[in-house]
Amino acid sequence: MAPSFVEDRRHAALEVFESQEVPTWRRSGFWTTSLRGLDLDSLEPKRYDSLDSVLVREHLGDEEHAALIVQQGANIVHCDVTDERVIVMPLEEAVEKHADLVEEYFARRLPYDEGKFPAGTAAFWTGGVFVYVPDNVQIERPIQAVWLIEEPGTVQWAHSLVVVGEQSEVKIREYFLAPDFEGQALHSGAFELYARPGAQVHLAHYQDWGSGEVHDLSVRRVEVQRDAHVKWVPIHLGGHLTKQTLDIITAEPGSDMRHTGMYFTERDEHLDLFTTDRHEAGHTTGDTVWKGALTGESRASYEGLIHIIPKATEVDTYLQTHSMLLSPKAKGDAIPSLIVEVDNVKASHGGTVGELDPEQIFYMMTRGISRAEAVRVLVEGYFEEVVMRLDDPGLEELVRRRISEKLAGAEDQVREFIGERAEAG
Amino acid sequence: MTLEVQNLHVRTEEREILHGVDLVVKKGETHALMGPNGSGKSTLANTLMGNPSYEVTEGRILLNGEDLTESDPDERARAGLFMAFQYPATIPGVSVANFMRMAVNAKREEPIKVKEFGALLKENMDLLKISRDFTSRYLNEGFSGGEKKRAEILQLAMLQPEFAVLDETDSGLDIDALRIVSEGVNAMRGEDRGFLIITHYTRILSYVRPDFVHILLDGRIVREGGSELADELEAKGYEFVREAVAANGA
Repeated sequence: MAPSFVEDRRHAALEVFESQEVPTWRRSGFWTTSLRGLDLDSLEPKRYDSLDSVLVREHLGDEEHAALIVQQGANIVHCDVTDERVIVMPLEEAVEKHADLVEEYFARRLPYDEGKFPAGTAAFWTGGVFVYVPDNVQIERPIQAVWLIEEPGTVQWAHSLVVVGEQSEVKIREYFLAPDFEGQALHSGAFELYARPGAQVHLAHYQDWGSGEVHDLSVRRVEVQRDAHVKWVPIHLGGHLTKQTLDIITAEPGSDMRHTGMYFTERDEHLDLFTTDRHEAGHTTGDTVWKGALTGESRASYEGLIHIIPKATEVDTYLQTHSMLLSPKAKGDAIPSLIVEVDNVKASHGGTVGELDPEQIFYMMTRGISRAEAVRVLVEGYFEEVVMRLDDPGLEELVRRRISEKLAGAEDQVREFIGERAEAG
Repeated sequence: MTLEVQNLHVRTEEREILHGVDLVVKKGETHALMGPNGSGKSTLANTLMGNPSYEVTEGRILLNGEDLTESDPDERARAGLFMAFQYPATIPGVSVANFMRMAVNAKREEPIKVKEFGALLKENMDLLKISRDFTSRYLNEGFSGGEKKRAEILQLAMLQPEFAVLDETDSGLDIDALRIVSEGVNAMRGEDRGFLIITHYTRILSYVRPDFVHILLDGRIVREGGSELADELEAKGYEFVREAVAANGA
């Protein structure tokens, strides 16, 4: 029996979940994110005995990890900790074995009543990932978690809790993977990370849900405490419908974050991201850069908010977002916004939606480079600024390879688009 | 071996810009194409390279007898044509060195060996007095006007084309940079290469003496001659040519 701080939250959340309708998110303009196509009742939490996944092997290669934990469907199927200094285990297990430790942080930044799906996640989560890094440890190899949906009909209610102790340095990665399949699935996720004073955290979220109808509705929050530094890298390379809230909170003086995100959408994928760079204390710094590219008939909206609350003076932060359309039928938004409730801060933002520049393509072609190659180089060059910021060679290689593959797949439509544009102008 | 332009008519969406241009550049020759702003110089250069913003409505472009009028820019480049741009595009995320390697390899069956490429790049950078840290910068990103022009001539030197069009390479260069760029061009002149130097001013022609000068006015070549024509233009200006043409035409 789980402790009451978990069970009480489940019960309260269940009431919220049951009392609320499936939401539709609307914003001014063309943007609507609707779950009308999702048949929630047909999905079930599938359980598995052991890990047997080609995808996991493909994505992890022969990299060595400080710990590797994999949840497939509704339960953890693999947990291997090679660095004895850290605790990595299923959250279900941790709430019993390390109840005091978990209770101190559990759901501190994740209210159960901020919507139907966050409530559902709070009520129904199973398995789960718990990572605890004690104070004063430096770990070179990444701590790796994988969320896997192997077959259609799956619902995955996910919760990850990560605590990084004072002055510790660590790399944390979560991958979200599914093979290409026919049919629906849902990943409803909650992630929280607390970087204790002076901690240095390198956090990556890598999502590639394949070409099946995987819906991802997640809330991820990162709290950066005094003099801690978090580099957060969310990467979205696939998902039928994704609606995520990604918040990074510089909560105490001296805390610093660098948030670098990227996405590549294709086919009829729908991506709706809302990020907040929230400053709750003075003398905090932030730097957010997001870049995306769209092919096919995909839709991608990125909205990035800088929110500086009263009393948070001497904040210095920056947000920029770019979106590149590679197909005439794709639609993208890049919306930076700002709420500043205090004087004496530095906050700037910018957003662009653009297309490949025919003059750049012409220029490269006059050097003997083919159109397809020029497009590939330009898009890779466009992403290079963010790929370099990943600062994780294994992940950089994975991202470069996947973007290159996706571009090769989109070559015909990009060529057609470029051709049309050139004729027109 | 020639680059030949026959009765070339070119238009943009708005209007016709070139109204029947004829030009023959043989290997080993250096031609200057001069004209005031708006005369169609850059249109000719861009059309030679196949810029899709310009439409050829009549006439042909031949390289060594092969009709390139409808060819894509990359085919023209591989056939031996090169243009140094007046306003080269910025290529973010691609370093000068990587771009050069890509361009060099586009013309080759087997990719160039790393060592050979490095040596070639160093040799040409020395020729153009370009500092070593230049190669790791993204191509043209944050470059000054002079740096962009040098990067263009560096590509010319690396690619060794049969025919090179220099589109206002001299504009925006200070006198030292102009001298260095001109020396670079002169070092590449020879029996196996033809140049078409497009310029508004006569300045570069005192460093790179042309064998032939053509004056383009309102989309037509109105005067042709040897290098003395450039000197005459320097002394009398484009208005003089315009008036002379008007008088003849009347």
